[in-house]
Amino acid sequence: MSTQADFLKQPPPPLPSRPIKLPAAHETTLSNGLVVVVVEDSRLPLVSYRLALRTGDAHDPSELPGLMDMLTGLLTEGTDSRTSREIADEIARLGATLQAGANSDYTTVAASSLATFSENILELMADVALRPVFPPSEVELTKQNTKESLKQQRAQPSFLASEMVARVMFGAHPYHVTAPTPESIDATTRERLVEFHRATFVANNAVLLVAGDVQQQSILQQVESLFGNWQPGDLPGDNFPAPPQRTSRSAYITDRPGSAQANIVIANEGITRTSPDYFPMLVMHTVLGANASSRLFMNLREEKGYTYGAYSSLDARRTAGTFRATAEVRTPVTGDSLKEFFYELNRIRNEPVSEKEIADAKSYLTGVFPIRLETQEGLVDQLVQIKMFNLPENYLEIYRNRIQAVTIPQVQEVARKYVRPDEAAIVIVGDGAQLAHQVKPHTDKIEFYNTAGTKKDKPAVASHSPEVAAALAGNWSLLIETPLGQSIPATLILRNIEKGFSGKVTSEMGNGELLTATFDGESFAGTISFDIAGHTMEAQIEGEVANEQMEGSISLQDAPALPFTGNKTEN
Amino acid sequence: MAERLKLSPTPIQQFNLTNGLRVILVEDHAVPVVSVTLYYDVGSRNEKSGRTGFAHLFEHMMFQGSENVPKAAHFQYIFNAGGTMNGTTSTERTNYYETLPASHLPLALWLESDRMRSLKVTQENLDNQREAVKEEKRLRYDNQPYVNAFLRFSELVFKNPANAHSTIGSMEDLDAATIDDVREFFRIYYAPNNAVLTVVGDFDETEARELIEKYFKEIPSQPPPPPVDVSEQPEVVVRRDIFYDVHAPTSAFMLGWKIPPRRTPEFYALSLGAELLFSGDSSRLYQKLVKGDESVVSIQGGIDERRGPSALYIFALPKPGEEVAAIRNQIFDEIRALRTSGPSPAEMEKLKNSLCNDVVRGRQSTMYRAQRLAEYALYDNDPTLFDSELDLYLAITPEQIRDAVERFLDVDNRVVLDVVPAAMAEATSADEVSETATPASPQPPGEPKQPGAPAPQVPSVPPVEPATEAGAAVGGPVSSQLEQPQQPADPPKQTDSGSGPLHT
Repeated sequence: MSTQADFLKQPPPPLPSRPIKLPAAHETTLSNGLVVVVVEDSRLPLVSYRLALRTGDAHDPSELPGLMDMLTGLLTEGTDSRTSREIADEIARLGATLQAGANSDYTTVAASSLATFSENILELMADVALRPVFPPSEVELTKQNTKESLKQQRAQPSFLASEMVARVMFGAHPYHVTAPTPESIDATTRERLVEFHRATFVANNAVLLVAGDVQQQSILQQVESLFGNWQPGDLPGDNFPAPPQRTSRSAYITDRPGSAQANIVIANEGITRTSPDYFPMLVMHTVLGANASSRLFMNLREEKGYTYGAYSSLDARRTAGTFRATAEVRTPVTGDSLKEFFYELNRIRNEPVSEKEIADAKSYLTGVFPIRLETQEGLVDQLVQIKMFNLPENYLEIYRNRIQAVTIPQVQEVARKYVRPDEAAIVIVGDGAQLAHQVKPHTDKIEFYNTAGTKKDKPAVASHSPEVAAALAGNWSLLIETPLGQSIPATLILRNIEKGFSGKVTSEMGNGELLTATFDGESFAGTISFDIAGHTMEAQIEGEVANEQMEGSISLQDAPALPFTGNKTEN
Repeated sequence: MAERLKLSPTPIQQFNLTNGLRVILVEDHAVPVVSVTLYYDVGSRNEKSGRTGFAHLFEHMMFQGSENVPKAAHFQYIFNAGGTMNGTTSTERTNYYETLPASHLPLALWLESDRMRSLKVTQENLDNQREAVKEEKRLRYDNQPYVNAFLRFSELVFKNPANAHSTIGSMEDLDAATIDDVREFFRIYYAPNNAVLTVVGDFDETEARELIEKYFKEIPSQPPPPPVDVSEQPEVVVRRDIFYDVHAPTSAFMLGWKIPPRRTPEFYALSLGAELLFSGDSSRLYQKLVKGDESVVSIQGGIDERRGPSALYIFALPKPGEEVAAIRNQIFDEIRALRTSGPSPAEMEKLKNSLCNDVVRGRQSTMYRAQRLAEYALYDNDPTLFDSELDLYLAITPEQIRDAVERFLDVDNRVVLDVVPAAMAEATSADEVSETATPASPQPPGEPKQPGAPAPQVPSVPPVEPATEAGAAVGGPVSSQLEQPQQPADPPKQTDSGSGPLHT
């Protein structure tokens, strides 16, 4: 083989960097308080509009979770002058898009079209945002279909995990809501929708963002004519109860029998989007788990092969937040995965990240930033968040500098402040019967729920599953304590057979055969027939099994029970 | 539909290296980023029986190290340079792609060339990635409602095993893959003459050409891979079947047809007809069933687009208590109506504007462009179709749509697949499938097939923000920087997303 050219052996140095041309945004405020931001971009004959309101799901009336979501779904189902069908046909005729949605903190109505149809789509957008009529038949249909959608959501393990995390982490804070309930859907009326729309869709609560092949002056004229008469109103408050403070580690297992994996989320309280800790957290999160070169991925997937992907997530919203570590793993390695998660969570707290790691994280965060500006939608997304979270006006300009300014001590400081394994909530969705014994070594406090979210008893091990049996099957080395203070060694060999276990015991006292055995993943109980000096005697054995260790007792017929400890020597 | 949108032509530069690597360059200096894709002409269609899922498992191995790049360092080099990356496998091809700050074009070319030249495979890495792929299969297929029914569906439509089996493959076949299989697969398919390299973004053409020559020109070409036979009989394989789904909360059904290959006039006409039937709130089936009859919660459809025989399908979620047979008859009636009267002038106008809108929007992202250009080069040997295919679509007449629906969306030669919650399995009588024309093949439990078809988008809360059309490649970093509070579930979404080494 020929010698490889030297230039192939090392990564090449970068070319000179090319400057980012940040788009110029022009901001105007109409007399009714509506803020209008226009970015002229004539590269392509396209336009994107986004009307954003500072009211989100968190502002739903407490008895009507899901109200804003239902409201946004109904905006395109009828206005003063158009039926649902006419709206659908008009959007399609223009080859355009128009849709509305809400998240916890804000609501958006988004439209886009070819520049030719710029005026048509903006007029239609104004119509659905300002003059929806919530026709009774459409309200009724939406209610029915939302209920059916709920059933579909509950079939998704990721939904069940998010729902439980929200419930556990946010307590009385409205972020605890992830979806409506059948009861709240039933209780929603056209009157409540009309009233909620009137209260929240007010001019001074909104920002209209425009990006694309438009002329600022003519767009502003059209905006003035369409939105100029929109009335201002009272602004919604953000006075929500604080999320509960966690003081200990506990687990919440949603039993989803037949689950092909365990969805794991380990959650701590986090930060708000405007926290001064935001940028150090972003860098810490990048080192720990933001992408496929972060520690969690490298450990749980590339080294261990437990999962398709392990990540952290920085969930920073307007009034509260969480920090999470997540992975979907095959059920039998749930316990092993928790061990690796806690190893990594402790490591990022206890050791400073290396110079290389922080440099790599900053390079990642600053490098991917311009990719977001390639599309109009990407740019508008950024501008919406600046407006909805009250970020600095020059946020896009300062973003990369803020990242670069983060130091190693700051990263460790936020890790110690927010990554708190001893207070973490461990949320797992999976086959409960196979999970309890794997979670127990990581916390004694375990609550079980069914997929409807109702608390239930610990699930029984329904059948003799190989995954559960594997924790017991193997060769055990035991030390049995006698009343005289002696320790008698014994070997217990347990084999997993079709519907239970076979096994034998060898010891100085005599040898025995296992007659019966039960095991639920934690507790082992069995009967052993001993041959002692030619006599057959029965003994009862009980043990608690965790992490290849067993503690229990053995009692020979009428004799007092002898305690033993043991460890597995072979699987 | 004669009117033509005025767009400046995409400045496509194409050339071949002496080893047969096809190269496409498009300069665009709007944003200082560059997207690089390598498309290899190998997908699940090339797999032999007993080795299903191999193209995709191999794709994972491409991230496990080469002569000068250690295991998993590919991820690290790209992310640490401020880039995003992934790879995916479909029936048709395997692709690898990255978007980086413009200054890091040499890095991307070095990384892609190193693994094309000198992939290193070890037993340890193969075992590790086999586990990652199994978890991917559990995550995206086995643990999701309705998704495995889509895999089953392909087996009912397609007779030829090259078409019928899934890209994700079976657990059994994944276990059977050996290190020698991996090496042989690499030699046959991962040659420069079996690949297309595309670079779109902020670079200098002369500089890019020099770099590409520097890194790729010494990689030897290989004999052409064995030909693929994807031929099909016109009839579907099984007309009627039931899939018992352990995760489905309610019953659903799928209808499916075998249709001609992509890039044929019939395919164009059918994809436009399909859009009229089921795309969006103005579509005929939405207005008839979700709105008019209020008999289904949602109805959606799609096209499994392939170089060979392709498929068109409809997925419906009936409301509880609704008569499923009646809903199906309504769908067939709508199809009959389309093939009797054809599209209306208003429908033709909407198709035209929607096509133009999609085409213009697709010119924003460098990655989106790089991927489409690569497909046209690999499948059609003509990347200029990126600009010109719109005219081929716009030339389709209402009569062509009517005739294609008449010819290919046959009410008899179709698949009906009922998806029944496993808990209800015993309640479903065997009489239900008495309509079966050909006896249904026994369904291998837990080993359904074919991920090419998009999963149903089950109705959920509306999206937080409308997703960007071409946002797949940049989805990761956007959500990590500015976390969207509601995270939607993550089923496989598009025909061309296949299965990748990472969440996208």
